[in-house]
Parts: sequence; structure tokens; C-alpha cells
Amino acid sequence: MTWDRFKKTLNVITMTFEVEMRQNLTDGFVIFGILLQPLIIAFMALWMLKEKGPDYSIFIVVGSGMTGLWTTLLFNGGNSITGERWNGTLEPLVGSPSSLRVIVFGKVLANISQSLLSMIVCYSFISLVIGYPLIVANPLLFFISLIFSVFAYVCFGLVIASLFILIRDIGRMINTLEFPVYILCGFLFPIAMLPGWTTPLSYVLSPYWAAQALHGSASGSATTGQIISYWGLLLGFSVAYLILSRSLYRVILYKARVDASLDTEG
Amino acid sequence: MNAIEVNDLKRIYKTTIGLIRRKIKEVVAVDGISFNVQDGELFGLLGPNGAGKTTTVKMLTTLLIPTGGSASIQGLDVVKDADKLRPRIGFIYGGERGLYWRLSGLDNLRYFSTLYYVDPDVAKKRIPELIEMVGLTGREKEKVEGYSRGMRQRLHIARALLHDPQVLFLDEPTIGLDPIGAREIRTAVLNLQSAKKTILLTTHYMFEADALCQRIAVINQGKIVALDTPEKLKQTVSDLSVVEIEIFGIPPEYIEKIHKLDFVDSVAIENHDQRQVMLIHTPIGPEAIPILVEQLSGLKLGKIVSRQPTLEDAYVRLVGGAE
Repeated sequence: MTWDRFKKTLNVITMTFEVEMRQNLTDGFVIFGILLQPLIIAFMALWMLKEKGPDYSIFIVVGSGMTGLWTTLLFNGGNSITGERWNGTLEPLVGSPSSLRVIVFGKVLANISQSLLSMIVCYSFISLVIGYPLIVANPLLFFISLIFSVFAYVCFGLVIASLFILIRDIGRMINTLEFPVYILCGFLFPIAMLPGWTTPLSYVLSPYWAAQALHGSASGSATTGQIISYWGLLLGFSVAYLILSRSLYRVILYKARVDASLDTEG
Repeated sequence: MNAIEVNDLKRIYKTTIGLIRRKIKEVVAVDGISFNVQDGELFGLLGPNGAGKTTTVKMLTTLLIPTGGSASIQGLDVVKDADKLRPRIGFIYGGERGLYWRLSGLDNLRYFSTLYYVDPDVAKKRIPELIEMVGLTGREKEKVEGYSRGMRQRLHIARALLHDPQVLFLDEPTIGLDPIGAREIRTAVLNLQSAKKTILLTTHYMFEADALCQRIAVINQGKIVALDTPEKLKQTVSDLSVVEIEIFGIPPEYIEKIHKLDFVDSVAIENHDQRQVMLIHTPIGPEAIPILVEQLSGLKLGKIVSRQPTLEDAYVRLVGGAE
């Protein structure tokens, strides 16, 4: 990729990020989803954990934050493609010289960042209000883990969103993915509690490694070496998803143009 | 030189019917059409709803893969060279969709200029110029959801021109607009043509095609049934006269009866609320009136006139009164 091409790609991601954020922040339902709902969840979770130790509460806080990210990725990320189709803007996007993969990257990044920001603000606010300390054992490792996790989520979202391009009503089918991933990735409890045969499934999902890195660095239960190895795995999966998405978008966009599924009509 | 070349282009849509024993049903939307558009020409694709106009434009703008045949724009194939072609063409589809309603008109243009890789310095200068050209100055910072239908259509035109393409596809740009809004769009299209853009315009309004296009292809049921200048298309019905009879409620059997008369070439009905206007194409002109009145006895008739045919009459003859 040339420098000029890289600059253009970055511009498309930045502008798409801005457009997605602006659109979401003017939508009453999304405002409820990113502000009020996390506030309610955060309040209930921290209130229930008042009697438990800080180690356990940070596990739940990080875990519930990750469930929020996954839900956002699945619904907002994927449904933004469905939204574009209903708006009639999917065709102008596909018909523009920019790669749809780059546009979707910007959209998913905006949705994930928004969700993450709302979670952090909500938990900090509520913990301050009820006077309950949230202690992160290794703040630096946690912060870096967060960056790797967001990148991994966005790359994973890129693959999932491609299915929304191909199949008009995939939204209803993809609903079923919400809870299995919470469980398989160990967001709220360790996967050791699950039957042995599910473990390989957990290992191929990048959110599992994100959960390991974030839980490990927040509670201090993992060594620095272990956390670095999780980063490596997160990066490896992210690159694999990026490479996969390159071919996937080429094939899926061709198929969508054959099947006439870029618009709600036709 | 030809800016657009279309050879035997075909598109079939496949749908499934039934739940258990699913059958695939094929609908031929475009059935082997061929035409060329020259550099700087304003070419019209005229046809009734469902004739295949939008499908043709979608194939030419790389959004649909043809089932057969080929098409190229400025020498680039619409399938194989889609990536190279997209920066060179601009397109708009009629109606209000295709814009971000919760963003301002200005933000819509800023976003699409980024997607079209317009240099930021160029975009800064071009966007206000386009806003002025389409008459949205002063309203550009308002959200699109507050725009009228005509304003959204004009914003579509500005969007299609952001990257200054040489070839433009305008699919029914005046659909659903009030007469003033439609006239503003037609003026904008004529301005684009004087700027030497190659334009392919689809419409089902005859007067619009007549007023704007240098050549017109009439498309019906996926096939091109005529291709010529508006004047020459009118000549195809120069041997006929048109008798218009105003009727207040016409049963279908009367239409059939008139159609069977040996001096009647074709019959079309225009509905206007409580009344209908029967258009009868006939080589015998006013002499047909007494016979027609006799055939319609028992019905309440209004004004009856005989006149020379227009492009609309040529169109009605070509598409067999499909509208």
C-alpha cells in the first residue's frame, strides 16, 4: 500500500467513524442504549457486589463490559449494514471507489468505542456515587490489553458484518450468537466450568483471549508473560480476520451484486 | 467516440416460490439490449414502470452483475473493471433514499467527497459551489430529514457531481416531485449537458425525454422497442391521428369493442379521478368520430377532439398502452 493510499484509507475510516458517531448521538434509542442502559446495569451489578471483595467485583465489571461490547458488535455493527440497506445508502457506498471493508471497519470501530466509553463512564460514575472502589491491579497492562481487545473486536466485527451484506434478514438468525459467545468466551465466569469439548471453540474466538487479557490484568491473576502471550494471540487472530475479510468481502460483494441484495428492492 | 457501449445486455432475477417444494422462478428484467451513447450526449431511456430501466442503470453503475452480454463505460468493463470505473461515474436513483437523513446536507457531501477520494482542498472549494448550483445555499447546515423532496433530489445531484465525473446516470430524477421541483431538476440536467457531461437519463415522462434528450431508447418488458431522436420517433406515428374522447365511467368491454374496430390502430386510457380519456390512434382521423360515438352509445361522453400525434402517442403505440 502506498503512502497516498494509506492516507486516503485513514481518511475514510476517520470520516466514517465521525458520521457513525454523529448519527448514533442523534438517535434517541441509541442514546438510551449507550447511556441509560449501561447505567442501570452498572448500578445493579455494583449494588449486588457491595458485600464481595474488590477482586470479584472487577471481574464482573470487566466481564459485563465485554458482554456490552459483544452485544454492540453483534447488533449495532451488523445492523448498521442493514440500516444502510434500508436507507438506500448501501448502494452508494458500494458504488463509491472506497472499499466497503474499510467503511465497515470505521463503522464497527465507532460502535465499539462508543460502547466502551459509555461502560467506563457508567462504572466510574456509579462506583463514585455508591462509594465502592474499583481497583485495577495492573493499569498499564490493562490499558494495552484494552487496545488489543478493541482492535480484535473490530476485526471480528468486520467478518460478522460481511454476512449482513449477503443475507438481508440475517439479523434475526444472528441473535442466537449473543449468549453462546458470552459463555464460550468466559466473560462472566471461567470456561473451566464448561464441558471439555467446548474449549477448542473458545480458543478460536478472539473475544476469549480479550477476556483472558482483561480479566488477568484487572485482577492481577495473570503474569506479565501470560498477558503478553494473550496480546500475541489477539494480534494473530486480528491479522487472520483481516486477511480473511479481504477475500470474504470480494466474494460476498460479488455474490450480493449477482443476487441483487444490496437494496431492499430488486 | 462512444462513452457508453451496451451489447446484448441481459439480467434475470431469480426468486423462490413455496415452502417445502421450493421452485425457482426466473424474471427477465432486461432482455438482450444494445445501444451506444456518445461523448457529451444526453441519452434517454424511456419506458413504463417495470420495463427494466433501473436494472439497466444498476448494471451500468456496477451495482448488479449482468446475466449475459457486456457493457463498458469509457472503455472499462462494468464487471471486470468495476474498481477502476467507479471514480469515473456518478449516479443518482430517483426518490428520497440514498442520503443520511440525520446528517446535514453539508455533512452528507463532506462524507461522500471523502469516499470518492476528493482532495480535501478541492472539496472545500467544490462543495459550496455545488450547494449553490443546486440551490441549497442557506439550508446546507440543516438536517436532511427537514428537507423537501425536491431539496433531497437536488442534494442527490450535488452528491453525484462531487468527484466531477464525466459520465452521469440519472435514474428517474424527477419522480414524485411537484412541477416546480421537477422543472428545477430539468434545468440542472440541461446545465450539466452544456458542461459536456455524458448523461444517461431514465424517465417515464414523455415530455421530459422530449425536452431533454438528443436520442431516446424506448424500453418495454426488458427489450428496446425503438431508438431514435425524439423527432424521428414522432414520425413513426405521422400516418396516424389521435382521437381523444372524454368519458365518465367506461366498462372494460367497451375498450375491447373499440379495439376490435378495423380502423383502430391502438387504444389507451388515461384516468383522471371521475373521468377517463380514451386515446384512439387511427389513420382516418376525424372521420372515425361518428363511428366511435355510435359504439360508445349509452355512456356519458364529454369533450371529443382529433389532433396530430405527439411523442407520447409514439410511446403509447410502441409500448402497447402499457401505462
